[in-house]
Amino acid sequence: MGMEGDFLQLLKERGYQFSAPASGLEAQPAEAAEITKGTTILAMKYRDGVLVAGDRRATAGNMVMYDRTDKVLEIDRHSVMAIAGVPATAYEMVRILEHSFKYYRRTQLQELSFEGKLRAVAKLLKDNVAAALAGTGAVVPVFAGYDFEQGAAKIYFYDILGAEFEGVEYAVSGSGSPTIRGILHYLNTWSDRPLSALPEEDAIVQALRLLTSAAEFDSATGGVNRDLNLYPIVKLITEAGIQTTPANRLQSLFEAKVARHV
Amino acid sequence: MFEEPYRWVEAVGNRRQYLDEQFQQGSPVVALSYADGILLLTVSRGTPKLYEIYDRIGLGGMGHPADLEKLRFNLLEMAHVEGFNRSPSDVTGSRMVKYGLAPVIKQAFEEVYKAPFIVKILLAELGTKAERDAFLTINYDGTFEESKGGAAIASTPAIQADVIGSLRKQAELAAASLSQAADTALRAWAIGSLAQRIEKVDDEDHKESMRPSSASSPDATAIESHLRETLADKTIECAVLERTAPGSSKYRALKAEEINNLLLPSLNRIPK
Repeated sequence: MGMEGDFLQLLKERGYQFSAPASGLEAQPAEAAEITKGTTILAMKYRDGVLVAGDRRATAGNMVMYDRTDKVLEIDRHSVMAIAGVPATAYEMVRILEHSFKYYRRTQLQELSFEGKLRAVAKLLKDNVAAALAGTGAVVPVFAGYDFEQGAAKIYFYDILGAEFEGVEYAVSGSGSPTIRGILHYLNTWSDRPLSALPEEDAIVQALRLLTSAAEFDSATGGVNRDLNLYPIVKLITEAGIQTTPANRLQSLFEAKVARHV
Repeated sequence: MFEEPYRWVEAVGNRRQYLDEQFQQGSPVVALSYADGILLLTVSRGTPKLYEIYDRIGLGGMGHPADLEKLRFNLLEMAHVEGFNRSPSDVTGSRMVKYGLAPVIKQAFEEVYKAPFIVKILLAELGTKAERDAFLTINYDGTFEESKGGAAIASTPAIQADVIGSLRKQAELAAASLSQAADTALRAWAIGSLAQRIEKVDDEDHKESMRPSSASSPDATAIESHLRETLADKTIECAVLERTAPGSSKYRALKAEEINNLLLPSLNRIPK
């Protein structure tokens, strides 16, 4: 009986196997496989909580697979996982986490702690190491959520092996992230105020500018497509829950404070 | 021991009698559709009796807590594995009861060498539209019923019918506010609980059942004094499945404070 409230364990007992690299692919270098990959994601603290944003492009080698990908995924009412890497694996991880947190809450009659949620992400990444190294399933997520024990929204990022690091002010991942990591450091250190003091609107504007910059230098990052009214996904996490910024708000902020500078 | 068929029938009959006695002390559970979703209500002492099973499914139970836990875990496992392997919209109360829970309960009931489950279960399922809300009740022998609008479990089928009858009398239930729904549910609960008490006294006096038929259901004063008495040492437990709740999980257990506020008008009417 599932007294431990461990959903992944239950799935395994029922014959499910998460992340098994196909043996034929092990010898292939990652580049040759040309698998679909996701691109620039960022999370940063702002005055009321944490902002998580991601562009919407998925690429396979030089080809654009899709320009409407959602890489910022809600796992429950207070946590979000932003994904960079192989979407097939990442979406499966999100599905497992979503069901795991619900299953824990419903069986144990209490929410899984924030620390417990972080461990669950790390465990999945650890299970995925073989596929990640074979080049078929590397995922480098950013996990953000509201920690009720500490009374604060928090950001964590991981490497492909499952090591977990706290992003005290911000965290980035994906192929476009080196570009904006430097900008975030600069903004946080030498602006008139640190990122964590930004009001909501300013934080959203910065996120749009950062993703636009990433798209400028990284062909695998989508940026904004005004013709198609395609904007990045921007979610805000506060004590009250998760709020998705509607596209029309992103559009007007983009027109007013981002577009004129590019 | 049961080589002759009539012995087995007799053993099952004894089992029925034994089980019927086990529920006399239990607290009925009432569930009904209202304007924004489904409300579940019971009155309990300590151990909770209302649970979240899946995104749109809530459970209310009567009987032995250990048996209820076992079956609750069965349901949770079934629902989550199915929801993960297929999709959340493939998890339906009807499938879980018909192909999952009912056969297990029936088998335990008829295997007279082993202990039966001492449980009655009510499942409430929130539809995507109000007309698709569904209710299922399962008895200790594995028989189940599906209904619309509302459902109840109580110690006997007759009392259960009385409780449901009192819900049906309320016109416009489908348009009721949460507070109206809670008031209706609490009164329906009291009708069931009072009938169980009368039946139990009758049983103890070894009389023929003197339980009034539904034609002469207890009057408002009797219900109110019964409520006042039981609420002195027990607490009301309420949960809702809200159609418009954000996110995929629609189940929410109401906090004591919220229950008090909801039922304040109706509780105030009860003379001290």
